[in-house]
Amino acid sequence: MKRQTMYMRMITGSLLRRRSRMFIALLAVAIGATILSGLVTVYYDIPRQMGQEFRSYGANLILVPSGEEGAFDAAAIEGAMRSVPADDIVGVAPYRYETGKINEQPFLLAGADLAEVRKTSPYWFVSGEWPDADGSALIGQEVADMIRLVPGDRFTLTGTDTAGENFSGDFTVSGVVQTGGDEEGFVFLSSADLDGLMGDGGRIDVVECSISASSDELTDIAARIGEDAPGVSPRLVKRVTESEGAVLTKLKALVWLVTAVVLLLTMITVATTMMAVVAERRREIGLRKALGASDRSIAREFLGEGALLGGCGGLLGSGLGFAFAQLVSMQVFGRPISFQPVLIPATMLASVAITAVACLLPVRSATTVDPAIVLRGE
Amino acid sequence: MNILELNDITKDYGSVKALKNVDMTLSNGEWLAIMGPSGSGKTTMMNIVGCMDKPTSGTVMLDGTNISEVSAKNLTNIRRDKIGLIFQQFHLIGYLTALENIMVAQYYHSMPDEGEALKALERVGLRERAKHLPSQLSGGEQQRVCIARALINYPMLILADEPTGNLDETNEQIVMDIFRQLHRDGSSIIVVTHDPEIAEEAERTVVLEHGKVTRNTKNAVAGSRGGDEKNV
Amino acid sequence: MFLRMLRGALFRQKGKMLMIAITIALGASLATAMLNVMLDVGDKVNRELKAYGANINVLPKGASLLGDLYGVQDGTGVSDRYLNEDELPLIKTIFWAFNIVDFAPYFETDARLTDVAGAADSGGDGPSSRGDEIALIGTWFDHHLDLPTGESLDTGIRNMKSWWDVSGEWASDDDADGAMVGAQVAERLGVSIGDTITVEEDGRAKSLTVRGVFDAGGNEDDRIYVPLAVAQELAGKPGAVSSVEVSALTTPDNELSRKAAQDPNSLSIKEWETWYCTAYVSAICYQIEEVVSDSVAKPIRQVAESEGAILEKTQFLMLLITILSLVGSALGISNLVTVSVMERSREIGLLKAVGAHNSSVMGLVLTEVLITAAAGGAVGYFAGLGFAQVIGHSVFGSGIDIRPVVIPLVAILVFIVTLAGSVPSIRMLLSLRPAEVLHGR
Repeated sequence: MKRQTMYMRMITGSLLRRRSRMFIALLAVAIGATILSGLVTVYYDIPRQMGQEFRSYGANLILVPSGEEGAFDAAAIEGAMRSVPADDIVGVAPYRYETGKINEQPFLLAGADLAEVRKTSPYWFVSGEWPDADGSALIGQEVADMIRLVPGDRFTLTGTDTAGENFSGDFTVSGVVQTGGDEEGFVFLSSADLDGLMGDGGRIDVVECSISASSDELTDIAARIGEDAPGVSPRLVKRVTESEGAVLTKLKALVWLVTAVVLLLTMITVATTMMAVVAERRREIGLRKALGASDRSIAREFLGEGALLGGCGGLLGSGLGFAFAQLVSMQVFGRPISFQPVLIPATMLASVAITAVACLLPVRSATTVDPAIVLRGE
Repeated sequence: MNILELNDITKDYGSVKALKNVDMTLSNGEWLAIMGPSGSGKTTMMNIVGCMDKPTSGTVMLDGTNISEVSAKNLTNIRRDKIGLIFQQFHLIGYLTALENIMVAQYYHSMPDEGEALKALERVGLRERAKHLPSQLSGGEQQRVCIARALINYPMLILADEPTGNLDETNEQIVMDIFRQLHRDGSSIIVVTHDPEIAEEAERTVVLEHGKVTRNTKNAVAGSRGGDEKNV
Repeated sequence: MFLRMLRGALFRQKGKMLMIAITIALGASLATAMLNVMLDVGDKVNRELKAYGANINVLPKGASLLGDLYGVQDGTGVSDRYLNEDELPLIKTIFWAFNIVDFAPYFETDARLTDVAGAADSGGDGPSSRGDEIALIGTWFDHHLDLPTGESLDTGIRNMKSWWDVSGEWASDDDADGAMVGAQVAERLGVSIGDTITVEEDGRAKSLTVRGVFDAGGNEDDRIYVPLAVAQELAGKPGAVSSVEVSALTTPDNELSRKAAQDPNSLSIKEWETWYCTAYVSAICYQIEEVVSDSVAKPIRQVAESEGAILEKTQFLMLLITILSLVGSALGISNLVTVSVMERSREIGLLKAVGAHNSSVMGLVLTEVLITAAAGGAVGYFAGLGFAQVIGHSVFGSGIDIRPVVIPLVAILVFIVTLAGSVPSIRMLLSLRPAEVLHGR
């Protein structure tokens, strides 16, 4: 029989036949590994997940036509959006502004892809419904107060189109929007409706984009759009981008620090448990020494046991940790987390290292004990 | 030929003198009993002879090597190669089977050999218990495994500390039979005991009192040593 | 005798008991730190979110928001109603005064640009700029207020517009000639820091020195900001304020607050009290309307709503992490207690051999472990406070509030965890047969 085989038999014997103790040790390692992989996963996913949450602040990039006077069309925007990674785009809402009259009172009209607006401005509070068909409109609270309209009412919009002709159209109020901001003074129509009224198509005054990216990435994106898309001038909404950067950095720092503290303490707890488990075996160490084992071979055996334990615990823990991270993500953000395969070997390696070190400390002190303790029957 | 010679051994534990100027020899194939009350220095003597401790002064010659001069690491090697230890408390590793416990000694000595370990178990009559864990064995059986383990590497000297101290009458007899057999086969044996009956089985008895050898006599009824000396 | 045995166990096996105590202390410190941070994180993150600026806009009743979005101006929204500047400090006296972080009044007026002169060179004034209408906003930059309550407060846009990228320096409220110019205005007029702009309104002229140019990335860039009094004087309307932006710490909205936001009168008295005494943005708005006469306070949904969402998520996240770490340290502690008690099987076997009853063995072990746990828990609590402060200072730059409620929580946790940790080992110890233990199996 090979020495290695005996080595493995001793180690597995120790692990499998001392079930209650090893179960405790395994539990300790697995808990440690769960916390490790769980928190690290959460930590790495936070910027992405929180970044998504921060999109509730609305657009962080605005595209306006470059040059003095002008507008751009859908093609120009499409060109510009090619500079943005498709996965990061939360919403792109082009707006066209015109003026019109209801009951001879002038109002601002905004034509937009309202489905996209809903994505770029998730904070809008709409009483009633978002318009889902042509011929229905969303009106601001101010407008609603002024002309006493409630959802379901019909109104007639009149005005002058691009060609100088008078137009008139009937619309249904589908909802009243409250934002606490300027939007409350607008009448929002679908782009198609407004284009129809104005008698031309495709004119766009401004595009609000909500992009899930950090402040630096946004600056890059803006620079690329500025270079690649002629006629489009990108502007960062500083209030949103700067603040998001600041808050997100703090949040990341918080989770980082908390993760570090939790990990540190977990490691110490794992280490003390391992120490207690190993310290219990002083007598056995004395016996092995009496049988002629060198300090090195004893250290090697405990290290092997620790490594095996750490590996199993790590594997178990990385699975449980992922489950925890998934739970957090689903509960908190309502989105699944991306699986990081690299975390499995990383967690296992870390738990092997921690367990091995935790085993070695008491083994070291135990090997200094002279083997004579076994003779005294202590 | 003496395989063990203790010359003027003194061992101090701080101010306590555990052994004072002890001289003792053991010739090849001899069976020696060390007796003495608690605190007489038996265990200290055992530790020194078993290469687990060094004397404060004096020389210990084991098989021609002065072990009071070698390093701790070499001491371990000498112990591994030349001495088989048997303990009062058996000291088997709880999570290894009887067979594996024997193989551990082989492992630390040289190369584990299952067949050889099985033969050793057979010698102590426990072949069919090879796969049992210590907790499944009786006290006598555990001690027999312990003896088998002590013998596995063909030690020059078997050192037994109260080998029957934890055993009942029946098991004591079984164990003593094994010792007698070992002696007949030519092994050198030192048994530490305070049971005069056990000591009488040996060829010679050394009595320690307060760290000094107070008696060193051949026993009248020397162990039934059939068929003269054989080569070890 | 029980006490003597206890004392012996506690003091003569210092090593083992110390190890249990240390582990419990570590667990308790983790629990303390995490609980304190978790309880305070809402407040801290809320303050961080103030970076997004005001979440409440106060306007005169009847005034319209219809302003000039993207420079479109139609005249209907212009109103001659104003708030009274003297009433502004009252905002800091409402029920939730403590939650009002900052506020700043604005007085908007349009002035005519008459002259632009560079400080060093005179090449600043493009011919096209002269005679233009320009939006002038009077505000507080960093205004010192003495409140009726005797407290004092420094507030203004300097705190509230954290995202402004200012070159030069912030203007000051005492400096009647200073102004801050938006990046777009500066570019159009060709002015830079140190230049002088002269504006005129209804025959009243005023020379302003450019102290700073800011890039806000929004429509503020098209305006000039001056001290409040300067703008009021220029327009001939002393004491008038067209709007106030308030930055307040709020509790995320729920069903009740949404109902209240629609109509506070629809609530029952009990609901109304709950609502009024909770820092919902709608309640704070309501309270501001109570103190500032003829005002309408509206939540700025972009900020208020998003704030609530992010706060909720952060708190929930911290809660889950806290639970994980608590479970982790609980299992860690009970693990170690289990191991340490098991280790003593020989001793317990001996006790049973000399005639100890199960109950007395159990009593001894439990008392020992609990005394150790109490000591470790106390040490851990204070260490945990330290940890919490480290986290608070390094992340938020301010200390974490110490909540007394954490003390009983940690105490109960330690108690339960230690007991739970002792259960399996005690069961094992009780099932020990003394003879077996003493035979060294």
